[in-house]
Amino acid sequence: MNTLTIDQLSKRYGNTAVFSNVTLSVAPGEFVAIVGESGVGKSTLLNCMAGLDSWDNGSVALSGTDLGTLSDDARALLRRQHVGFVFQAFHVLPHLDVAQNVGLPLMLLGKPDPQAVASMLAAVGLEGLGARLPQQLSGGQLQRVAIARALIHRPGLLLADEPTGNLDPTTAAKVLDALMAQTRQHGAALVLVTHSEAAAARADRVLHLSSDGIRD
Amino acid sequence: MAYVISPPAKPGGLLGPLLRQLSWRELLHHPWRNAAAAVAVMLGVALAFSTHLINASALSEFSSATRAVSGQSDLELRAVRSSFNEAVFERVANHPGVSVASPVLELSSYAITATGKRVALRIVGVDALVVAQIAPSLMPVPEKMSSGNRFALFTPGTVFLNPAARAALGAGSGDSFKLQSGLQLISVTAAGSVAAGGAALAVMDIAAAQELFDKRGQLSRIDLRLGPGADRAALVAAFKLPPDITAAEPADAAERVSNLSRAYRVNLTVLALVALFTGAFLVFSVLSLSVAKRAQQFALLGVLGLTGRERLTLVMAESALLGVVGSGLGLALGTALAALALRVLGGDLGGGYFAGGAPTLQFSFGAAAAYGALGVAAACVGGWWPARAAQKLAPAQTLKGLGAAAIQGKSHWLSFALIAAGALLAYLPPIAGIPLAAYASVALLLVGGITALPYLIALLYDALSPFVANALLPMLAVERARRVRESAAVAVSGVVASLSLAVALTVMVASFRTSVTQWLDVILPADLYARTASASTSGGAGEAVYLTPDFVAAITAVPGIARVGTLRTTQVVLDPKAPAVALIARDIGDAAKTFPMVGDVLPVPKGQIGIYVSEAMVDLYGARLGAVFVPFSKPFSAVAQEIRVQAASDLIASKPAPGIGANPQFYVAGIWRDYSRQFGAVAIDSADFVRLTGDTRISDLALWLQPGAKSGDVESAVRAAADRQAGAGALIEFALTSQIRAISLKIFDRSFAVTYWLQGVAIAIGLFGVAASFSAQVLARRKEFGLLVHLGLTRRQILAVVAGEGAAWTLIGSVAGLGLGLAVSLVLVHVVNPQSFHWTMDLVLPWLRLIGLCAAVVVAGTLTAWLAGRAAASKDAVLAVKEDW
Repeated sequence: MNTLTIDQLSKRYGNTAVFSNVTLSVAPGEFVAIVGESGVGKSTLLNCMAGLDSWDNGSVALSGTDLGTLSDDARALLRRQHVGFVFQAFHVLPHLDVAQNVGLPLMLLGKPDPQAVASMLAAVGLEGLGARLPQQLSGGQLQRVAIARALIHRPGLLLADEPTGNLDPTTAAKVLDALMAQTRQHGAALVLVTHSEAAAARADRVLHLSSDGIRD
Repeated sequence: MAYVISPPAKPGGLLGPLLRQLSWRELLHHPWRNAAAAVAVMLGVALAFSTHLINASALSEFSSATRAVSGQSDLELRAVRSSFNEAVFERVANHPGVSVASPVLELSSYAITATGKRVALRIVGVDALVVAQIAPSLMPVPEKMSSGNRFALFTPGTVFLNPAARAALGAGSGDSFKLQSGLQLISVTAAGSVAAGGAALAVMDIAAAQELFDKRGQLSRIDLRLGPGADRAALVAAFKLPPDITAAEPADAAERVSNLSRAYRVNLTVLALVALFTGAFLVFSVLSLSVAKRAQQFALLGVLGLTGRERLTLVMAESALLGVVGSGLGLALGTALAALALRVLGGDLGGGYFAGGAPTLQFSFGAAAAYGALGVAAACVGGWWPARAAQKLAPAQTLKGLGAAAIQGKSHWLSFALIAAGALLAYLPPIAGIPLAAYASVALLLVGGITALPYLIALLYDALSPFVANALLPMLAVERARRVRESAAVAVSGVVASLSLAVALTVMVASFRTSVTQWLDVILPADLYARTASASTSGGAGEAVYLTPDFVAAITAVPGIARVGTLRTTQVVLDPKAPAVALIARDIGDAAKTFPMVGDVLPVPKGQIGIYVSEAMVDLYGARLGAVFVPFSKPFSAVAQEIRVQAASDLIASKPAPGIGANPQFYVAGIWRDYSRQFGAVAIDSADFVRLTGDTRISDLALWLQPGAKSGDVESAVRAAADRQAGAGALIEFALTSQIRAISLKIFDRSFAVTYWLQGVAIAIGLFGVAASFSAQVLARRKEFGLLVHLGLTRRQILAVVAGEGAAWTLIGSVAGLGLGLAVSLVLVHVVNPQSFHWTMDLVLPWLRLIGLCAAVVVAGTLTAWLAGRAAASKDAVLAVKEDW
């Protein structure tokens, strides 16, 4: 069963179509990059995949579960258990230390696990930095924290929205390495929205989103 | 395999970790802000709980003292006026349905100690042979039960003191002191004690008391213990009681005590609840700001899978925690305040309802739990809207900084319906004597008015919008206010709520004070007043402590006195469950001038007796202008009959004057305003009173001085006249009209001081709400401001936008608050006061003060907004454009 299945998805803002007839599927462990011009709705599509945004037509299913049939609370529970998210802005909580930030999803699941957090920090190259506050980290390090947080609860699907957009090319490459390595190690599917050709080139599949649909 | 969405591992199990990791840190980050919210809840709970404790303690103490004196009777036969003829006793006591009958004569007087100290003392005359069977705490206990002392129970000059009397008089067994009877001082000796609690009380033999206080053949009441299975109604009918005796259940006494201070208690409790409401508003302001600041945190948690319901639960838990802390502190503070107030002010908070010593604090865990829960509930109500905002925020949009609330198309008709319902409720009568509908009316007017604000603000800004389209700064302010009018309304609602409260209280107090001042002008026409019993005890003390016609005749010749007016105050029980009605006999003259009349004065029809009733008589007993007041005939018909056959004392005329029949008709010739007796007063001309009752005793004298006469000289001369008559010059008290006025207004101002405090707190909280809202707004708009800086605006200009918005919003809030406050003041002045205290007042609008109040709020609001904006925008706004939080 595919991790993600989108069928004939359309989204409008008033009379303006954002995208239409988007159909795609992502297999378990697959890395799919979505590229397209600014404003074609890449981030909106990603939000729809996570159940964070609504759509007008079509369906989105995560591992066979149709998001359209779920309440907001049920979607939140599904994200909590099965989806990870990485943003262009790092979105780490400023008053929690690095370990606490990474451990947030486990805390939400009621399964705090300091060992797992330490292991994950080591895996993304942040060993020994767990007690630091976000203000004491560089941009690259902050994005690694975000990646560690996205994967700590072993989600089946990782959604990344321009995760390297705020980073210099060298740091971006390292962060992408860490992202791919950890995603593969955890067997998660990865959907990456990016403008970076270098990043897209490393995906198993690259999809181009435009106003009239999505194509390989 | 399809994903399985499991329910949360432990329902509610997330709350603890989230509170520890997120909320606790937020609290540590802003300890003073959260402390302010908890303190506001604390003050509300403390005020409400202490009011409850004080009243419960006072009622309990007063009721137990009443029970101690009344004993455990099954039925009481009470005098409708001060006393009744004891001839009925034999008939009642010998009735087969009566097991025990205990006659009682109860009077209020003064004791004068060897050191000259004058102490108010309740005298209870009992039959020592039967009193123990009904009221054991009134049983005299001689100090030494020797054979000689045993007869002390019946010795004329012997009294038995309760603990309060012993303490007040500093007298033990064997000590002598004097009791005042009229203007005479009679020596008595303390021979032992009685166990009765409460205020200072002396028990003596009933025959001795009748003799001592010139009440031969008179009783105040008969306490009855009935035989098994006796039918009370049938017994009362069989007694064939004369009209001046009423049969009362023992429970009536407790109800009478409770009724005495009920309106006062309810109004104090409502004031306390208003304080609690302001606490809830502060919680609302603090959590609104907190949620606004943490919007992106909540959004991230939403993306990570924290459900909307869980976000709501988290914020509600935070508000509940604030409530728990505030309530816990409030209960402790309330208990301490109550203990202090009982010690310093006594049990009636200065209301003057309960005489006597300081009651013991009666702490109740049940009441503490209830008031604590009320505080938590108030905090939760305050936290509900911010919690809903946290629940409803759109995570993805909010993370992008686009999470501002969209305009909600809520109908404003509900708001107008609430206002209309509030207006209608103001016309409903009181429920169980309490103006509950009027309070609900005030609440609906406030809620309706505040919830209508978004609509009114939209109307205003829609109208303003075209005029500012080409001016950048005003355009920014107006457009934002139009788009987020719900948030604008939140900021303004604090100002509206607090200002309307302040305006309503200001108008009510000004109206009341002006009316009281005018009332004092009419009821105090003379230059100097003299009496021998204090006002607080005059009702009861008038029977034992009084001035005589001979004394009045003597002082009319005193140099410097142009005219002497007399006033006799006594009491009449028209309903055993209600406090007694004051009966005032004085020279009426032209009633339209001598009384603060409400409406017309009618001529008295021939053959009827004119009476002038206070407004309370209309509300409580159905008296109507121009109609015969039937309930009044009963107490006087018996007296009229009795006077025909005997003269009770040399102060009672041998027979009533011609024209007074056996069943006199009392015609209500006028209704007057009385701010000193909320349970009713009836004024009757002195001549009619003496003709009816033969009672020529006098309670107070009004003295008009001759031009140039010095009040000090007149006082000395009057004292000398009293000394010549009975050696009682020291027993006369004097007060100049100006002193009575000054003291009355001082007491008035002291009573209403709490309302000024409440106004100040309410406005401070309203401004805190403005500060919190503007801080949240400015934080939410930092990217907008950063962009404006990129476009070339200075920080000063941006702060000018914020301050301008603050001025505009608080101006709107002030106008709305003024309007709502005036509406609420109408309800307070014309509905709540008359229904609570049974008196009316004229509406006075102190415009200068009201406009000053509004202007001060606008200035303070503008300054607050500017300061909040400055603090919130203290970080370089340019960075905000790019910042990750």
